[in-house]
Amino acid sequence: MLHPDELARRARRRVVELAARKAVHLGAALSMTDLLAVLYTRGLRYRPDRPDWPDRDLLILSKGHGAYGLYAVLAELGVITADLATLPGHPSDAVPGIEAATGALGHGLSLGCGMALGARLAGRDQRVVVVTGDGELDEGSNWEAAQFAAHHRLGNLVAVVDRNRLQQEGDTETISALEPLADKWRAFGWRVAEADGHDTAAVTDALAGLRAGDGPAVLLAHTVKGRGVPFAEGDPAWHMGQLDAAQRQTALDALDAPAAPAPAAAGGALS
Amino acid sequence: MIAAPPTMRAALAAALAEAVDADPALITLGADGQALFQGVMARHPRRYVDVGIAEANLVGVAAGLARSGMRPVAAAMAPFLVRRAYEQLRLDVCVPALPVVFLGVGGGLGYGHLGPTHHATDDITLMSALPHMSVHCPADAADAVSVLRTLLPADGPAYVRLSARPDPELPAAASDGDPRTPRLLRDGDDVLLLATGRCVAEALAAADALAGDGVDAAVASVTTLHPFPRDAVRALALGRALVVTAAESLGPGGLGDRTALTLGRDGPPLVRLETDHRYPPVASHEELLHFYGVDSRGIRSAVLGRFTRNTRKA
Repeated sequence: MLHPDELARRARRRVVELAARKAVHLGAALSMTDLLAVLYTRGLRYRPDRPDWPDRDLLILSKGHGAYGLYAVLAELGVITADLATLPGHPSDAVPGIEAATGALGHGLSLGCGMALGARLAGRDQRVVVVTGDGELDEGSNWEAAQFAAHHRLGNLVAVVDRNRLQQEGDTETISALEPLADKWRAFGWRVAEADGHDTAAVTDALAGLRAGDGPAVLLAHTVKGRGVPFAEGDPAWHMGQLDAAQRQTALDALDAPAAPAPAAAGGALS
Repeated sequence: MIAAPPTMRAALAAALAEAVDADPALITLGADGQALFQGVMARHPRRYVDVGIAEANLVGVAAGLARSGMRPVAAAMAPFLVRRAYEQLRLDVCVPALPVVFLGVGGGLGYGHLGPTHHATDDITLMSALPHMSVHCPADAADAVSVLRTLLPADGPAYVRLSARPDPELPAAASDGDPRTPRLLRDGDDVLLLATGRCVAEALAAADALAGDGVDAAVASVTTLHPFPRDAVRALALGRALVVTAAESLGPGGLGDRTALTLGRDGPPLVRLETDHRYPPVASHEELLHFYGVDSRGIRSAVLGRFTRNTRKA
């Protein structure tokens, strides 16, 4: 199994190559790449050679606009073999490795609640991980699901929030403030951990720490939108876009350069 | 003293408990409305999940349960299930064609005095527009049970409009056999009254009154509206001097619409009685049926306005 850092680097290269061919949600795909790399190598019980293995853990990408980031990771693992450019812009049931079609924001956590409850009722030892955006948490349906998960003590449900602090039009705190976000989850009855979402060791440890416990858990992963492509990092203009030839080369050169230290998580106090 | 007819909810509570007994994959969900699930809660408390007043989450959780291999039956008050959770219904359940049965309590005008927040004359229209969804509008408690038994085990998404209050009890023929085929409740040579849901009782009452007017009216109930039983409706209607449809629903996608499409321009003359967007008065269910012209008086007037002895077929 690849080290998650290397899996993430290769997946980002795929995203960049794709973004040179068509407009994609670049920033959202790149901010969560390290999170997905950790989940598919260390966080989930998963067999890339058998993506339909009945005992696998389940990952739902609630922030469905990050689809190409997920496809890129699944392609590196060999689960997806198709040309990524031919795949739909939001996760679809027809794509190998996709557990639930998503894309309208605020649906994944309810789906995850149902899957986690179903696993428990069937006596299956199965973990369900839902990756959400942070801007996505503006949708009230997430909080219906959060209340439900805590009420039913769904200890096999984990939410991972890609806390890149940017939504389509700008800073989440300027548009409709989410903070104090950790306190909100705690108030809803969730166990909360925070980590630098680009530090794969820290994410690994945080997910392991959330494994044992009563009730649902959330990892607030502090990330940088567009991570790995310097001119896109932290720039909401790259929420969606297509790279020209020079931008593609700049991006690939940056990804191939020796790893820089992870930037301090923007503004998010780690606790 | 005559016993009150059973409500759809009471009849279905017993049927749901039996269904849960028989199928270990069946699970029920409600949104702070438990009348339908009393039997399940008593016999299988783990197989009823109350999500609280959270219809969007109700539908999303049901979809997740279906994806995990279970067969959910999920209920809520019709206006909130249909309108508040429409995106979840469409994307989480219907697009992937998951086997979830939805029970909408108080569809149409059943909540009477409670007003337009609680009326759902749009439920049939909206649910019929969803991919893979089948739509059913039973006419009384026994018919509702016949629908549930036909739908379980479900092989795709389904919506069943339930009454909020007791319905007039209908002849046994209204719940005999397969609800997906129209049932002829009363034969007659002159006109055909096609009705669905609560309007079936109104059509039967109208046929009684029309007999006094010298008009021999046949009455058929259509419980399954989508997919629409085109062939059976065509067979019932052809050769009639007049067809009248009656439904406490908006027009698009409803009984009148489907009947018109089925019969086409060459079919018998058709009068469609259905609701519209006028703001309702503060009134009971029965008064609202009259206000929108879909009660027995409205049906009778529609027939007498179009049918005379001169139009009687030779």
